Amino acid sequence: MSTERGRLRPLSWFLLRSLALGTGVAAVAYARRWLDVVEVQGRSMAPALLPGEWLLVERRTYAHRPPRVGEIVLAADPRDPSRELIKRVTSVDGRAKMIQLAGDAPDSSTDSRTFGAISVSDVRWRVIARYWPAERIARL
Amino acid sequence: MRNPLRPTRRVHAHCDIPCGVYDPEQARIEAESCYKIIEKYTASSDELLRARCIVVKEERAELTKHHIDVLWHDYFKPEHLEKFPDLHETCWKASKAASKVKQTTDIAAAKELLGLIDRIDEMWKATGGPEKTRLQAVAA
Repeated sequence: MSTERGRLRPLSWFLLRSLALGTGVAAVAYARRWLDVVEVQGRSMAPALLPGEWLLVERRTYAHRPPRVGEIVLAADPRDPSRELIKRVTSVDGRAKMIQLAGDAPDSSTDSRTFGAISVSDVRWRVIARYWPAERIARL
Repeated sequence: MRNPLRPTRRVHAHCDIPCGVYDPEQARIEAESCYKIIEKYTASSDELLRARCIVVKEERAELTKHHIDVLWHDYFKPEHLEKFPDLHETCWKASKAASKVKQTTDIAAAKELLGLIDRIDEMWKATGGPEKTRLQAVAA
């Protein structure tokens, strides 16, 4: 009896644990489809964002509505699509589906003043929050 | 050990550095070199000198073209284009003229190139280039 119990218990524990682990992995994998973390490089978004800061970004919102003025977004650099830019939306032309991006620090920013407006469909990620450095944790 | 919270994805709060220093004089000096070299080339019967002229002229013409392109891509902004509708046309022609100077020993092409650079210089000056893009005084 006790031997049978002894056998059963490890099995149920094993099942339970793999179920929990599996659920965890699946949840993370699912969340990763629309959540990600990024590191800021460059100073064009100073003082709001500084180089080396870590941000939480999501891409659910823009599947439902276009970006709004004031939001900080990620967009492929029109001049080098392998590079992702982080900029603030400064104007949205809903008709033409074009938006203008700018850095908060215009003197050290290359943005829509140089490369023009970009297509709304090129903007998928929205910046939600900064989670590092700890003393600058903030919703954005 | 690597911090697991650290993002692997980098986003650019980008600027082309920028040092923000621009001056058509840079292109002008290289283009003047080309002009003078073509003069020397035409006047000389020394084959070695003539060969050297060709090599150096191609190098200088390429530099001229580079400096024109940097002004065109990086210095000029859409508001400058509004002020000078011939901005694109002029820069484009200047780039092409630089190519022609590289390919040929035609003094007329070198003259045309200088004229176009002077036109770019006018636009640079009229858009506040000297005050905005050159150091006014260097602190010791």
